[in-house]
Amino acid sequence: MTCEQFRQILPEMPEGVCDAEQDAHLKSCSECSSLVSDLGFIIRESRLLQMDEEPSPRVWNSIEIALRQEGLIRPAGSPAHVSTGFWHWRPAWALISATAVVVLALGVAFNQHKRAGHEIATIQTPAVLSAVAPPAKARRAVAPEDRQMLDAISSRSPVMAAAYEASLQDVNDYIRDAEESVQRDPNDEDAQQYLMDAYQQRAVVYQMALDRPLP
Amino acid sequence: MTTARKTKHAEFSEADAIEQAKQGNSEAFELLYDLHKRRVYSLCLRMTANTAEAEDLTQEAFLQLFRKIGTFRGESAFSTWLHRMAVNVVLMRLRKKGLPVVPLEDGAESDEELPKKELGAQDTTLAGSVDRLELQRAVEALPPGYRTIFVLHDVEGYEHNEIAGLVGCSIGNSKSQLHKARMKLRELLKTSRAEKAVKP
Repeated sequence: MTCEQFRQILPEMPEGVCDAEQDAHLKSCSECSSLVSDLGFIIRESRLLQMDEEPSPRVWNSIEIALRQEGLIRPAGSPAHVSTGFWHWRPAWALISATAVVVLALGVAFNQHKRAGHEIATIQTPAVLSAVAPPAKARRAVAPEDRQMLDAISSRSPVMAAAYEASLQDVNDYIRDAEESVQRDPNDEDAQQYLMDAYQQRAVVYQMALDRPLP
Repeated sequence: MTTARKTKHAEFSEADAIEQAKQGNSEAFELLYDLHKRRVYSLCLRMTANTAEAEDLTQEAFLQLFRKIGTFRGESAFSTWLHRMAVNVVLMRLRKKGLPVVPLEDGAESDEELPKKELGAQDTTLAGSVDRLELQRAVEALPPGYRTIFVLHDVEGYEHNEIAGLVGCSIGNSKSQLHKARMKLRELLKTSRAEKAVKP
């Protein structure tokens, strides 16, 4: 067997397996023997490259954000933790609005208990609403996915629906700001955490809207 | 991963994590990611030779997996399912960029000058004189088509019939191009070793 013949069949040779003729050639030819040795080294070492590297933490952060955006991650059962960075990030009124909904609901329930018959429950807390109302700004259209929930509440309590709508608009603003920051710097882990907090806030508003009995 | 996270993850088997992920449990998603991220990322990195691209592709592969996790019935191993998805994500990206995924028998890469036999030349083997970092660099320096076949077969362990199905070539082409990729790697490693020997 010549070197030329040996190298022609080399691609078809199973790794480490030679017949007698090939083996005899390798024993007599240092060039081909060196080649086979090198190819064997490359094959063995390459297998060790399989799990050599680790991606940066931003990859998981980006995945988690996308999963939450797509609703594939369900929010935690307990009220969302609000990171201290929230205050640095957004005016306090965004959180206070959500709290105002709770106060509002309590006020409504209290008045309903006091009044009899079919009198419409008055809201004791318009002062609360106005005191914590977000800075005057043009009201944006409600997101389509929120409209269904608000319509359901509105049919029973327009005032409650208005309060929830205000809260949702504030939280959606928060989400929008956080998303923009993440887009500007995908490696900013704080921005990613704020975005996740924003989604949690939104989930809390929904949870309150769906759990609380309406008048 | 912190010790606390490792401990928490230990309470979840992969099968549990898959079922929990189907229910939207974020910790389950994270566990599945932690279990498989190195393999997927390394695959993407070897095939693209670019860390930013590899991270994007890793993200894309896991997102595709998690979107479809509800359809996973356990007929194959989860890791196999994920790995196939990752390979397809990478190949699609290479095709979109117009990079050769399938080395052509008569294409440019085949026409590249392969190392000629040096008659009478003394030559030491690579073993013992080349480290893994040099090998990584040499793989990154391979032309894209060679690199794809090499990574899929020698690094990731796909058989030629599987590679043929994935990249759309014949089994014979896959074997031929793999051999050429290995020969090219050998040449690159010998060149690198020679340069190292010359440098002060």
